[in-house]
Amino acid sequence: MITKAAVDAMGGDHAPAEVVAGALAWAADNADNHLLLVGKQEVIEAEIASIKEAGGFACSPEQVVIVNANEVIGCDESPATALRRKKDASIVVASALVKEGKADAVISCGSTGAQMAAAIFILGRMEGIDRPPIIASLPGEGGHRTLLVDVGANVDCKPAQLLQFALLGSVYARSVLGIASPRIGLLNNGSEETKGNALAQQVYSLLKEQEDINFIGNVEGRDLFSPIADIVVCDGFTGNILLKALEGLGLFFASSIMKEIDKPPSILESFDYSRVGGAPLLGVNGVSIVCHGSSHREAVANGLRIAEECFRNGIVARQAEELAKCEL
Amino acid sequence: MQEFFELARKLLAEQLDVEIDSILMETTFEALEADSIDIVEMIMGLEDIYHVEFPEEELEDFPTVGSLITALYQYLQEVGK
Repeated sequence: MITKAAVDAMGGDHAPAEVVAGALAWAADNADNHLLLVGKQEVIEAEIASIKEAGGFACSPEQVVIVNANEVIGCDESPATALRRKKDASIVVASALVKEGKADAVISCGSTGAQMAAAIFILGRMEGIDRPPIIASLPGEGGHRTLLVDVGANVDCKPAQLLQFALLGSVYARSVLGIASPRIGLLNNGSEETKGNALAQQVYSLLKEQEDINFIGNVEGRDLFSPIADIVVCDGFTGNILLKALEGLGLFFASSIMKEIDKPPSILESFDYSRVGGAPLLGVNGVSIVCHGSSHREAVANGLRIAEECFRNGIVARQAEELAKCEL
Repeated sequence: MQEFFELARKLLAEQLDVEIDSILMETTFEALEADSIDIVEMIMGLEDIYHVEFPEEELEDFPTVGSLITALYQYLQEVGK
């Protein structure tokens, strides 16, 4: 099965060099992996030439197409207005390729806000969804993984949006991971119903009343690595800080342990974002994978593997089908 | 202008799930907890209705619903819609 991925070659701290190199590495995985590298043609051509010169071009030239886009949306720009102003931006053109059916997924290491705005305005939202969240999978005890939603797409959230995140997380766990009745927890600073700030308390009430989900109550930060919940819901501001704190903790542990032993325990590798690569935006009509802004080639290649998996699993159709059964 | 404002606030009220009467000319987007995506969505909704493409404005320059609607309405007048 051919997978065509539109890659925003210009987005990210190490773009275009690392993005192009990572994308070519993914294409070399399998002859069915086709790339649409979106960005300034001459810049991408120069990167490919340099990779060829270094002997790193391992895929067939037929697997790689460059799609020209002359603009880039920076992380310092207002996403929605920049999207309107820069119609020839790489994330806009790459998302449009998915919308037009020319690509099966879009992936970017650039502005998350711009990618979310492109997903909303170009790919379109599923019925009943205001804002698409990003879902991330955390390692845990005995191989259990906890899905955390939202890890950064929406810094300011309304209670109803967190309810939608819970529904989307539940739909994703049911349809993609095969968990029959995913347990949903609300990230809070205590397990009692009355705990938390005003947002958490309002969300608690909404989740408690929602019949389509298996809400188990509040969960605390320390519960994230135990098999208590399958999905933990939080606003994107909290989720992003939490995710990056975990990355930092993993790096700190790894460097500290390396002073005492030769090789760190493999569990620490699961805190390395580059091993995961990227995470999908949920609730939109297309596969859109958000990657870390600091991604190097390994993370980009792994992000594309996530995109491929999402496309092959039909996560968009499955989400839409399950969401239609929910009362929003 | 009144008709245009009514249409715009109807779109905004539906998007934000708020009472239409809570949106007045002097109401700020901040008070409505409307972010740039909400505002752009409203603008795009109006573009669909009027078959026009509004110029890309700096949304920060329009803190109130009235200030933005007035600017959009003036543009409609200019292009004869």
